[in-house]
Amino acid sequence: MNRIVKKLLSNTTSLIGLILLFVFVIIAVFAPIIAPPLFSDPYQIPRMSWDTEPQPPGFPLSDDMIFIYESMGEPIIRDKAIFGTAQGGYDIFYGLIWGTRTAFRIGIVTVVFSMLIGVILGSIAAYFGGWLDELLMRITDIFLSIPFLVAAMVLTTILGRGLDKVMIALVFFGWMGYARVIRGSILCAKEDVYVMAARALGVKDYSIIVRHLLPNTIFPVMVQASMNIGSMVITAAALSFLGVGAPLGYADWGQMVSFARNWIIGSPGHAGEYWYAVFFPAVFIVLFVLSWNLVGDTLRDIMDPRLRGEL
Amino acid sequence: MVNDNKTKILQVKDLKTYFFTENGIVKAVDGVDFEIYQGETLGLVGESGCGKSVTAFSIVKLLDYPGKTVGGQVFFRGEDLLKKNEKQMRQIRGKEISLIFQEPMTSLNPVFTIGFQITEALKVHYKISKPKAQEKAVQLLKKVDIPIPEQRINEYPHQLSGGMRQRAMIAMALACDPVLLIADEPTTSLDVTIQAQILELMKTLLKEFNSSLIMITHDLGVIAEIADRIAVMYAGKIVEYTDTRSIFYNPLHPYTYGLLTSIPRLDMDIEKLDSIPGLVPDPLHFPEGCKFHPRCPFATAKCRKEEPVLKEVENKHLVRCWHFEKVKEEAKKIAFTGRLAVSE
Repeated sequence: MNRIVKKLLSNTTSLIGLILLFVFVIIAVFAPIIAPPLFSDPYQIPRMSWDTEPQPPGFPLSDDMIFIYESMGEPIIRDKAIFGTAQGGYDIFYGLIWGTRTAFRIGIVTVVFSMLIGVILGSIAAYFGGWLDELLMRITDIFLSIPFLVAAMVLTTILGRGLDKVMIALVFFGWMGYARVIRGSILCAKEDVYVMAARALGVKDYSIIVRHLLPNTIFPVMVQASMNIGSMVITAAALSFLGVGAPLGYADWGQMVSFARNWIIGSPGHAGEYWYAVFFPAVFIVLFVLSWNLVGDTLRDIMDPRLRGEL
Repeated sequence: MVNDNKTKILQVKDLKTYFFTENGIVKAVDGVDFEIYQGETLGLVGESGCGKSVTAFSIVKLLDYPGKTVGGQVFFRGEDLLKKNEKQMRQIRGKEISLIFQEPMTSLNPVFTIGFQITEALKVHYKISKPKAQEKAVQLLKKVDIPIPEQRINEYPHQLSGGMRQRAMIAMALACDPVLLIADEPTTSLDVTIQAQILELMKTLLKEFNSSLIMITHDLGVIAEIADRIAVMYAGKIVEYTDTRSIFYNPLHPYTYGLLTSIPRLDMDIEKLDSIPGLVPDPLHFPEGCKFHPRCPFATAKCRKEEPVLKEVENKHLVRCWHFEKVKEEAKKIAFTGRLAVSE
């Protein structure tokens, strides 16, 4: 474990990944300070005006809004949209800062749950083999044959709008990779004599899987998981972009991109006029996914048995 | 050294274990009988694939699909193990019957310390506190002659040499004072000097624990060293079964005879080592009649048609051959020339 940490810190690419990740963690943790919420629900993005089209960075809080806040008796903490506003006057900066929390939540929760399902099914299939393996793996194949994004969209639509529904859909169609990876490595590891030796000592099947096999086989799954956190966030953003994700006004990066959908090209004669509406959310998403991929990549290199001695 | 007055620990009767493969049924073990008395060592000898390991795994019911024990009885202290369920078997494995494996490199889990693995058997079978288990592990390591055991129990398998690991494996197997040990080629992957040490150690410990041992090996040198009685297996059946001395000085089965003549000997001036012609028959298509006849120099028309039965032909000397008298005479000649070579 020490070796892994050392390696992660000494490698430039993984160091960049770790620093980026660290920045995102800081943003998520200090979101209430960086972008103080205006409502009791901090995930609701405040609107700076009622404008339909996006407004450029530095756009001030409109008079209408000042009037509303004053009549509500709320103190006005922020009066400028640093990154501009999206369509409907939604504050991009606020959405992105609080969206970081959403991104972590989506990434980690979906990956942890799909990993759990995958590891349980995969290890049972591999350890017991025979018809059980056949059955579980055919179920996995069926799930794999369904296009992921389409299936997730359909399920989210059925379940209804909301981030939790998105996560359920992502877990439901996202566990197969883990099942396959863990099955492969357990199939290989269970041939080792120590498994037979443990059985010959009278150790229970459950303990053999959990105590003997998983510590020897879980690492490739962890690598895959760390890479998948990024892609889960992208998929969730895609669902939000398509309009089946987070509810309107919820601080979520996909939502921010979705807001920019009609304004990507700009207006006639002014190409890229609303660049900020696309650019800032995109930067956040790209950097977030990149950081996980860099870390995952290095983890994979560390685990590669051919490189093991050198690292 | 056949001891009728000692208690019978294990009796295997007509054990049949078949593998149900896609290409057909492989009769890996086809009607094996033997028994073991307390404190006694039985050698199971044979070529690779003759069914000796399958016999051992059948006894403790550790065979995986597609292997299945289809017939026979295995009486362990009067109870038929084949009638026991998985839960009852788990209580016997490691506690009353332990296994020692061939590869000390892979039979220890790389992610756990030696101490953890030795105490695992104790933790599975007894309610024992951690410090007590640790203490017992240190004692066991001392018993198997591992130096500085207090330090070794915190080390990982890769920090130990092959011989050390095999000693640790033996310590694991002995953790719960088993009545019966089954050692599946325990010395095969070790070099010769370590082999001798391990065998010596096993002999001492067997005496100390008064445990019985089934020693599975293809190495007649190893078996001569440790076994009281020997069962020679060929193609899933026992072909000769008697005490160790008789196997070496009075072999009655042509296969045993072939094995003996193919051992390199220091006391004889032989240019070319004999070997048994041919290969182990394909288990899916065993020959008719005696299964050894295609490779047997003594084979006759009778051997090709009728399979001999295992019967007692001399005092406590069982053999499965039609022509054991011829083999006996031939073996005598070899022993004679052997002595001649020495005297010259």
